[in-house]
Amino acid sequence: MTSKLTDQLRALPDDGLGALLQLRPDLVVPIPSDISALAARAQSRVSVARTLDGLDLFTLEVLDGLRLVRGEDGTAAIETLLTLATEAGAEPSRVRGAVDRLRARFLAFGQDNALHLVNAIDELTSPYPAGLGRPAADLDVDVAALAADPAGLRRTLLSAPPDARAVLDRLAAGPPVGSVQSGLLRGKTDAASPVGWLVAHRLLVAIADDTVELPREIGIVLRRDTGPLGPLHPAPPPADAQPRTGADSAGAGQALEAVRHLDALLHALADAPAPVLRSFGLGVRDLRRLARDTGTTEPVTALLLEIAYAAGLLTYTDATKGASEMVWLPTPAYDAWRTADLAHRWAVLARTWLAMTRAPAMVGQRDDKDKPISALSHEGTRVSAPTVRRAALGVLTDLPEGTALSADAVLDRLAWQAPRRIGRPGAPAGPQALARAALAEATSLGVTGLEAMTRYGRLLLAESAGGADSDPLGIRSRDDETPDALVAALHDMLPVPVDHVLVQADLTVVVPGPPAPDLAAELTLVADAESRGGATVYRVTPASVRRALDAGYAASDIHGLFRRRSRTPLPQALEYLVNDVARRHGGLRVGTVGAYLRSDDEALVNEVFADRRLAGLSLRRLAPTVLATPHTTSRLLDMLRDAGFAPVAEDATGAALLTRPRALRAPSRPALRRPRPDNFDPPRLHGPRLEGVVEQIRLGDRLARATRRSPLSRAMVDEDGAPVTSAQAHAQALAVLQQAMRDQARVWVGYVDAHGSAASKLVRPVSMGAGYLRAEDDRTEMLHTFALHRITSATLDD
Amino acid sequence: MTHGPLIVQSDKTLLLEVDHPDALACRMAIAPFAELERSPEHVHTYRLTPLGLWNARAAGHDAESVVDSLLRFSRYPVPHALLVDVAETMDRYGRLQLANDPAHGLVLRALDRAVLIEVAKSKKLADMLGAKIDEDTIAVHASERGRLKQALLKLGWPAEDLAGYVDGEAHAISLHEDGWHLRTYQRQAVEHFWAGGSGVVVLPCGAGKTLVGAAAMAQVGATTLILVTNTVAGRQWKRELIARTSLTDAEIGEYSGERKEIRPVTIATYQIMTTRRGGVYTHLDLFGARDWGLVIYDEVHLLPAPIFRFTADLQARRRLGLTATLVREDGREGDVFSLIGPKRYDAPWKDIESQGWIAPADCIEVRVTLTDAERMAYATSEPEERYRVAATARTKLPVVQKLVERHHGDQILVIGAYLDQLHVLSEFLDAPIVQGATTNRERERLFDAFRSGEVSTLVISKVGNFSIDLPEAAVAIQVSGTFGSRQEEAQRLGRVLRPKSDGRQAHFYTVVSRDTIDTEYAAHRQRFLAEQGYAYTIVDADDVLGPPLPSID
Repeated sequence: MTSKLTDQLRALPDDGLGALLQLRPDLVVPIPSDISALAARAQSRVSVARTLDGLDLFTLEVLDGLRLVRGEDGTAAIETLLTLATEAGAEPSRVRGAVDRLRARFLAFGQDNALHLVNAIDELTSPYPAGLGRPAADLDVDVAALAADPAGLRRTLLSAPPDARAVLDRLAAGPPVGSVQSGLLRGKTDAASPVGWLVAHRLLVAIADDTVELPREIGIVLRRDTGPLGPLHPAPPPADAQPRTGADSAGAGQALEAVRHLDALLHALADAPAPVLRSFGLGVRDLRRLARDTGTTEPVTALLLEIAYAAGLLTYTDATKGASEMVWLPTPAYDAWRTADLAHRWAVLARTWLAMTRAPAMVGQRDDKDKPISALSHEGTRVSAPTVRRAALGVLTDLPEGTALSADAVLDRLAWQAPRRIGRPGAPAGPQALARAALAEATSLGVTGLEAMTRYGRLLLAESAGGADSDPLGIRSRDDETPDALVAALHDMLPVPVDHVLVQADLTVVVPGPPAPDLAAELTLVADAESRGGATVYRVTPASVRRALDAGYAASDIHGLFRRRSRTPLPQALEYLVNDVARRHGGLRVGTVGAYLRSDDEALVNEVFADRRLAGLSLRRLAPTVLATPHTTSRLLDMLRDAGFAPVAEDATGAALLTRPRALRAPSRPALRRPRPDNFDPPRLHGPRLEGVVEQIRLGDRLARATRRSPLSRAMVDEDGAPVTSAQAHAQALAVLQQAMRDQARVWVGYVDAHGSAASKLVRPVSMGAGYLRAEDDRTEMLHTFALHRITSATLDD
Repeated sequence: MTHGPLIVQSDKTLLLEVDHPDALACRMAIAPFAELERSPEHVHTYRLTPLGLWNARAAGHDAESVVDSLLRFSRYPVPHALLVDVAETMDRYGRLQLANDPAHGLVLRALDRAVLIEVAKSKKLADMLGAKIDEDTIAVHASERGRLKQALLKLGWPAEDLAGYVDGEAHAISLHEDGWHLRTYQRQAVEHFWAGGSGVVVLPCGAGKTLVGAAAMAQVGATTLILVTNTVAGRQWKRELIARTSLTDAEIGEYSGERKEIRPVTIATYQIMTTRRGGVYTHLDLFGARDWGLVIYDEVHLLPAPIFRFTADLQARRRLGLTATLVREDGREGDVFSLIGPKRYDAPWKDIESQGWIAPADCIEVRVTLTDAERMAYATSEPEERYRVAATARTKLPVVQKLVERHHGDQILVIGAYLDQLHVLSEFLDAPIVQGATTNRERERLFDAFRSGEVSTLVISKVGNFSIDLPEAAVAIQVSGTFGSRQEEAQRLGRVLRPKSDGRQAHFYTVVSRDTIDTEYAAHRQRFLAEQGYAYTIVDADDVLGPPLPSID
């Protein structure tokens, strides 16, 4: 087999080989050493699987057909397949086209009448080609007999009860195996159940206790209408594509929203940075807050944040002052981004989105460990996301301009284009879910509008599709592309920023369009934004005017701002509001002083104020009768007294603080010794106390004697009186211990305790084993355990 | 990108630039589905609400026409999300219908089976729905018609009520159009109401809501129950009905605290209907006392909550709500929608004014500077007393007097909230006072005297806020209010907005104390008036007290 393919490949001209490599680029990673290595790789499971994944539904159906018509020798004849396919309603040219596709990829090779299929295909595809079961001969002799008798088979089929017939039809449509309730098929089958009836009548074969299979021949008979191959799908499902006007406009409106929302989001984050979760990412509560503050939904917020992060507009840092934790904050790139024009800003978003490997749709879903995935977390990455995104949008791009296709129809098409990759509605994070999410995201960003691809959306997809080839080394940077077609196309559709406002008597200020950045900055200070969108409505409130005044505006500046920007005469109410607030602004002053000086006698205060000796106090007059100084109260008092005044300090409530001079004293402490009793006689002892003392002395004496006799206090010598090595001593000690154990004698055990210090104990050894000595202390009646390696000596108690 | 007059905002407000050449066409296009929220001088704000969109849907507009209007007049691209939202919201109305089934009576029928399954699962509806008749139909207990509509609205699936109305006891009523006739907008209002079966007509004070009610009664031609805010308003209704229709005194009954008459046309007060004795509403029988063919609710925005509950049981009768504003301080606009009916007619104030039916008003805020003693009293007063201290400052008296003098010859109302102040004013101006304690008889007498010009200045308390028809009042001077309520402002302005026989200018003065909480409340009122499109001028009391200004008239 391999050699056959090798021969085929070897016989190919260079451009033929090139074409194969172009179709299966994975074959050259790494570059195979020779043709036989290439052939081996072309037949490897991984490479074949990858190639199959890229095939459309019809090509796979044709491949199934080829597998079905394979003869004994393992080759298939195209003619046979064509007959079957024509029966199923597929045009021969299309079938040949599909076979050519298989051949071009060398999944099939050889002559038309003896087409070989690569072995790995059988391992990678369903064991039931075209959804048909195995031939009856392989399954059961009796069934084979029935299958061989067409008239008998037809009779049996016609006599099947309706529900049994329904089972048959379902199995005939494929796959041909079905499971039934476990144990139903064991032993005597219940002929009353549909499956039981079918098995009893040899239309189904029980291949396991709970599994039945429809033999191939019977399946073919049942597929009378479509032929053995079953229904084929030579073309993608017909789409109910509808012409849509205004797609571009709806998309542009949405694009505007996306840019505005992202701006608002990052602004909100800068105002109140959200902490980075310990497991990375942004907490769900913060996400909810941001969504609420900016008036979007949580999914859109997650999408925009992910894009901002991918685009480098947002990052995590611990740079905020005083915060020990990491927070999410906009980067300086954000400041550059927000000054760009709208189309440019959107282009940054859209390009980032198209290429990013993040899957924002997964935010809020649960990961493998059933933990919710948070925005910006590591779990939100899907390497396949850009591919799927491009595939989904590609379906819309392939339609004529201004044609809409619902998300379901797009998914149907995708499922036809690459059924093995996107076919099944799988896991929440599966390709189909990703494709659906990609369409929803495209809608939120305004890449599509009213379910149709926008004109500028096409440019977006085209530029990145061609980009890789034309600039493989990335030499040209984006800025050099002189006319940015995408930006230009979108720019024409977006409103021009306005630099004027309409001021109304209800104190609203309307910016009738996207505000120019400088106008927005000015208005944000003096008014509160109330409604955003195509225009922005600000409201001037006393609080907002105060804010402007606090920021250093004077009333005349605010008037000037409105006069300069307004296209309409200013309402009187606005003038009054600003003047009213300005009049009261600063009416109260707050400051910090170190100490104050007050007096009811204004002349006295003047005297202090004028006194040059007190210049060092930097006194400031707060009122005719009040002076303040940044210095402390005590310094003020001292200096005033030095200057000959007679000030009195007062506390926070205004009560005079009297300062009587006080002798310095340390804190009190108890005396060292109890005072001696008057008489100098020695203390007398009586009765029980005396007896106690005696007993204590005796006990101490016994202990002292015992310790004195402890062998450790003596030099270690052997029988000859020579000093012994520690190893010798240890062996000696063990011998002594064994002896003592037999005699149940008491032993002085010398050992090194856990702290490394030598100690000894008088004990009666009980047992020795597993590296431990267990011994009893007669005095305390406690059982001690000594590690043998710690024992340094043992001496029998004499 | 067009250069239309409309800007669509993300929060579903629509900004209409009124000076734009297409503004009028745009206003006509969006008025059916967007609610006018503010109409200051340059940019009007409309809001897209589910209720508004459903109102439009009920009136036969479809989502496509709404989206088309938005796109046609929008200056900037309209976001995809908003267009989709509008279409989806509108699509929710009428997916469910309340209908009369010949065999099963009242049924809830679904045009979309999934919706029916969804709402049938709701616990809130469990008690209201009966047996399932088929896949798309569920029987409804007839008594639950109103509550079901309320609950469905809350679930976001408002039902279309096609179950029809009972005709009620026939009673011929016709309009006496001698020397006057229905104005165009009044006629349109009645036509829209009749076409819809029941609903709310929104007309500003003084635009002749009573006449709309009378014309509706003539159209229905059946016994009618009229619910009004108070007895005086009820008597006005009666007077108006006798004057403008074929009804006679004997045909109109008054059902109030004083009298309990039930006649073919009965006028009852909200108060008597909501009176409870021992926890039981004692006057509920009135609703069943006759086979009413029409129930008219005056001042729907003030409809007390219990009346909503009673109305839920009256769903088979035609209902007409009359009001100057749908905005309710308690936010129960949805209940008005489901229980009384969708809005059937609405005309912005300014439009009616430009048609000449309402006197153009000149709103002036006069700021008085408190004397030092008053400032000190204000500064040291308790928080809950501050407004009273500021609003009742004596400094206001000479200003009010001066204003009254300046408008000598005009019919002047002096309005306030604090009785002490009003009594002082009454003495100071030598004008009679109408307050809560004034008997109905005395009120009637004074109002009559005012109407006839016998009394030129009237001091009135909060009782004057609602439903007193004093069309000759050309000047209103407000000295204190109830904490700047928007509704109160609308009512007070309504006092002087009645058409004047000689087309004179109306004046609306508010006297406030500078640098006090009074000014803050005044700012709320001012905002409301500015939002209604009335330019508001602030003048200093010294200008009023000083040399006479050149006449504004």
